[in-house]
Amino acid sequence: MKIRSLLFTMIAGLFLMTACDPDPVDPNGNGNGENETPKIVGTLEVEFRVPGSFLPPSRVLRADLSIAKNAEDLYRGHYLQVANVYNSKLIYQFDLAPGSYYYQAGIVCIAEGDSCSAAGFPGGKFGMKWAVGTATVKENGTTRVIPQFTR
Amino acid sequence: MLGIISVKKTIKYGFLAIMLLAGIYSCSTEIDINTTNQDTPIVYCILNTADSFQYVRLQKTYLIEQAALDYPPHPDSIIFPGEIVVSLERWQNDKVVETFRFKPTMDIPKDTGFFPTEKNILYQAKARILPEQLYRLYIYIGSKEKVLYAETHTLGSLKVVDPIPLSVRKVSLYEGNNYTCRWEPVSKAGVYQVMVRFNYNETKDGVTTLKSLNWPQGYSNPGSNIEYLSKDISGARFMHILDEALKAEPGVVREAVNVDFQILSGGVELRYYIESTAPSEGALMEKPVYTNVTNGIGLFSSMAEVNVTGLLLSSVTLDSLAFGVYTRDLGFLDHTGDRDSTNNLIE
Repeated sequence: MKIRSLLFTMIAGLFLMTACDPDPVDPNGNGNGENETPKIVGTLEVEFRVPGSFLPPSRVLRADLSIAKNAEDLYRGHYLQVANVYNSKLIYQFDLAPGSYYYQAGIVCIAEGDSCSAAGFPGGKFGMKWAVGTATVKENGTTRVIPQFTR
Repeated sequence: MLGIISVKKTIKYGFLAIMLLAGIYSCSTEIDINTTNQDTPIVYCILNTADSFQYVRLQKTYLIEQAALDYPPHPDSIIFPGEIVVSLERWQNDKVVETFRFKPTMDIPKDTGFFPTEKNILYQAKARILPEQLYRLYIYIGSKEKVLYAETHTLGSLKVVDPIPLSVRKVSLYEGNNYTCRWEPVSKAGVYQVMVRFNYNETKDGVTTLKSLNWPQGYSNPGSNIEYLSKDISGARFMHILDEALKAEPGVVREAVNVDFQILSGGVELRYYIESTAPSEGALMEKPVYTNVTNGIGLFSSMAEVNVTGLLLSSVTLDSLAFGVYTRDLGFLDHTGDRDSTNNLIE
């Protein structure tokens, strides 16, 4: 009888000890992501249209699309993100924390002779035009902007 | 009766003698596993439409008495002695329209490795290779009185869509930002590869050296009925590659210069060769190596390449190199040209 009660006590004790053991904690914080606070982000979507002119479309190309936190950072070239721009891609997306941002889009003229100057690109070939604007990114939302270039 | 006994005895002793002889010879443990050397010719030639010189490499199989993987061959044992004639023909409408004769050269050094680097004989011809043409390669080996033969159709033109050589268009390669290379499908191509070359200046003890890091991407196979083929270059992987390839050294300052892109396309023969020499997966452990050379083994194919060089990296990429989690110890300068992350505050 004594042995049986001793065994029962031991099993009960083990059960209690195991039950009280909390989840192991990774000291490095390398969790599997379940308990991590998800980053709150929104999306800034830039529809980067290249304005039409008398020049062939293959002579005016997208050159730059950068995002900065404020106008001063944009002016100084301290960008948050710089997109890889392509001839064949129109929409560019940036995942950003909610807030206001400045963007700049640049197009470049690669036509020969005085064609670029005639089309309003300063400096002739490899002259650039810039469009700068602001956008407000909202939590879990998508803000779409279309850069406007001067003619 | 006596005669029968005598014959029986003779057979008995004869049988014993044969058994004894067989027993003596069967005790020998030496077995000659080597056959005589076949001197099989090995040929490699990839015609390059982007190059004005073409090269043929001709070597042969060899036989040594020691373990083949432990002892490299003598330089003379992998080349054919005597007369070698290498010629290339361009065919059009079943007629030869152009012939090129190759000359031996030892100007190009061989990479160091297991095989001897001396006597690296290549055969060179000044030949502009035209796209979508039939080329035939003939090699006459005097010592074997043998002609090797191979043919290939050269690839169409390779047109790269992205990147383009536009210096104002910066390349962004950092975690979360990939670069997409695009090109138009090439007729008769069997395989594509993109190579990224990162050029940087390294200053150590006041001496600046321009260095390059080649980062070949995986092979791409041609798709069907698609307008463009593409390959994504991972920004996160780029940072990992630098972390793995470069050593963090105190006092060493590095400055990113630019990146080059090399887009390559190869013929279907090259694709078969790559597949046949790739590590086996599955039950078939020993695959036969592809060859399209008659009277020998090797590869005759063609390739096209486009190089877009000197593309600048974006300021965000430069800052990621300088202060990013993987590369911050490598001594890269940021986009302002120093390593002071507080520039923003003091300017």
